[in-house]
Amino acid sequence: MQEAAVAKNTYTETENIIEIKDLRKVYKVGSESVVALNNINITIKRGEICCFLGTSGSGKSTLLNMMAGLERPTKGTIRIAGWDIDKLSEKKLAIFRQNHIGFIFQSYNLMPFSTALENVAMPLIFRGVSRRKRTQMAKEMLIAVGLEDRMLHKPSEMSGGQQQRVGIARAFVARPEIIFADEPTGNLDSRTSTEIMNMIVDMAAKHNQTLIIVTHDMNVAKYAHRIFHMLDGDIEKIEECI
Amino acid sequence: MNSLDLILMSLSNLWRRKVRTILTVLGVLIGTMSITLMLSLGFGINISFQKSLERMGSLNVIQVYNYNGGGYYAMDVVKVGGSDSEQPKLDDATCEKIANMDGVQSVLKMLTTSVKMGSGRYIAWVQLMGVNPEAMEYFDFEVDQGRLLTVNDTNAIVFGSDVPMNFYNPRDRRGGYWGWSANQEPNVNVLEDRLILTFDMNYGEPHQTPIEGGRRPKRYNVEGVGLLSWEGSQNYSWYAIANLDYVKKLIKENERLQGGGRRRPTSADTTYSQIKVRVKDMNKVVDVQNAIKEMGFQTYSLMDQMQEIQKTSRIIQAVLGGIGAISLLVAALGITNTMIMAIYERTREIGIMKVLGCLLKNIRQMFLIESGLIGFIGGVVGGGLSIGASYLLNKFLAPALMGRMGYGVQVEKISIIPPWLLLATVVFSTFVGLISGYSPARRAMKLSALSAIRTE
Repeated sequence: MQEAAVAKNTYTETENIIEIKDLRKVYKVGSESVVALNNINITIKRGEICCFLGTSGSGKSTLLNMMAGLERPTKGTIRIAGWDIDKLSEKKLAIFRQNHIGFIFQSYNLMPFSTALENVAMPLIFRGVSRRKRTQMAKEMLIAVGLEDRMLHKPSEMSGGQQQRVGIARAFVARPEIIFADEPTGNLDSRTSTEIMNMIVDMAAKHNQTLIIVTHDMNVAKYAHRIFHMLDGDIEKIEECI
Repeated sequence: MNSLDLILMSLSNLWRRKVRTILTVLGVLIGTMSITLMLSLGFGINISFQKSLERMGSLNVIQVYNYNGGGYYAMDVVKVGGSDSEQPKLDDATCEKIANMDGVQSVLKMLTTSVKMGSGRYIAWVQLMGVNPEAMEYFDFEVDQGRLLTVNDTNAIVFGSDVPMNFYNPRDRRGGYWGWSANQEPNVNVLEDRLILTFDMNYGEPHQTPIEGGRRPKRYNVEGVGLLSWEGSQNYSWYAIANLDYVKKLIKENERLQGGGRRRPTSADTTYSQIKVRVKDMNKVVDVQNAIKEMGFQTYSLMDQMQEIQKTSRIIQAVLGGIGAISLLVAALGITNTMIMAIYERTREIGIMKVLGCLLKNIRQMFLIESGLIGFIGGVVGGGLSIGASYLLNKFLAPALMGRMGYGVQVEKISIIPPWLLLATVVFSTFVGLISGYSPARRAMKLSALSAIRTE
């Protein structure tokens, strides 16, 4: 915690929230080496909505996993909100995720035996928030995503769109600085996709949260301020949108 | 993550897999029950042995004999072992020495001789025992009627419970012994009737055998002051007990008469055939006993037997406990199996929790709490059922076993569960649960979050 605290002191609001330098990831598959990420250098500002667009195998998911601290880079540094992600211990990574990151998945990844309310409150449990407070926060969040009448339903009793809205509520409930969305609309029809994307972008904008979207869908990518086109482990081009 | 949330989460996980949890708990329950019951049987055996020993006499009394140095009844004239001065003597000086040993509470000197007693037409052969009255309270003398001896008594006699039955009428043609089993009163009321005591073995006999040399022994008037109870003083039931000094005096007078005036050392002056030593603390009995043995005496205490019995019952307990332990071991495997299954089922959930920022420590704790709870619940329920089973065993099996364990072993309870055993069972089964869950919990902790959330 000490070094993280020191690192945090050097970070100010105006600086870049994500700084990636010379990032390289090589997988060993048997005796063969597969380069997933070649040499990535990115900086992302607070409140920015970025999209990594690419086909499968382009390395976009690997990049996301590494930013979330789920995978270790082969080479290079990742600095997020003042934390050197590549150097943190497992325990500090968990604390980092608790405090700075929200996750939205393609397949929702809700706890199948918990109600919507319990699912949304889960990240708060890990942070040690009291039962009363976290229930209150989770309720507010579910109302915000329009599920006030589904709070006590289990995921299996909800439609895909509703499940993803629970996922969104869960990602935003702890007010993290960064939201990672991995193919958030991959399992949804186009109408629901639009709804969901609007909801995510609105919510992120409201609290000046940084949103990182990974997708292969152009329709999703168009919500971003910047689109990173990825191909074979490299950033092919960066497209600035207005 | 605070510990209440952790426990609630573990509980809800267990509750979700109700049937499997219950079955696993059932395994632990059977395991703990068999251990508890097996051990309780061991305790029961131990205690019934101990009780039957206690009825034979106190466990902290040591009997001291002197076979080598002239242990004999006072009437014996020739010394068995010769008068070797090297041999230890069980005399007053020795008694004093033993009485001053660490832990010794009291020493009972016992001087025994055969006498004949008479009351009216009835006579009886009686073993007369002289004891030091101040020690009586420490050596299981329990009066049924009357009182015990005091230091000031002279011709007062306390009778063992069976002595009154010895009085018979030698001129009665039917034999005259008061029947063993007849429910009639003894011929003589030893507390109220006039009694005489003599060393004259011809006293009251219809056919007199001539006395060789010496003079006819004197007759003494004695007074019965107490009658010992049978239950409390079984060891003395055939003795008439008098003040030691009085018995010494009688023996000396008789020897003078018999010896025709010749002077020689009388045994009554010097040695006792037997003494008893009471040790205050049961744990010191062995020490005192060894110290007395080193002085050259033969000793015996129920502790000797007790140690043998304890050794035996320890083996019995170990065997019974071992049988129980096997079933708990099987239950432990059941717990491990259940937890591994749980991990396979919940791989995805574990992954999600990790991605959402759950500490690895918390994941491990959650699984340990679940397996620990299985052990704990099994232990508590198993302990409770053991009490019930123990009650049933005592109620229905104990009477059936009664009388099959030989004379002197009285079976009251065959299964005894001390409270600490219940506590130990619960602690142990919880511990077994934790141990069984340890490796699955580590496994859950080490699951890769990334591959876990990819699991479909």
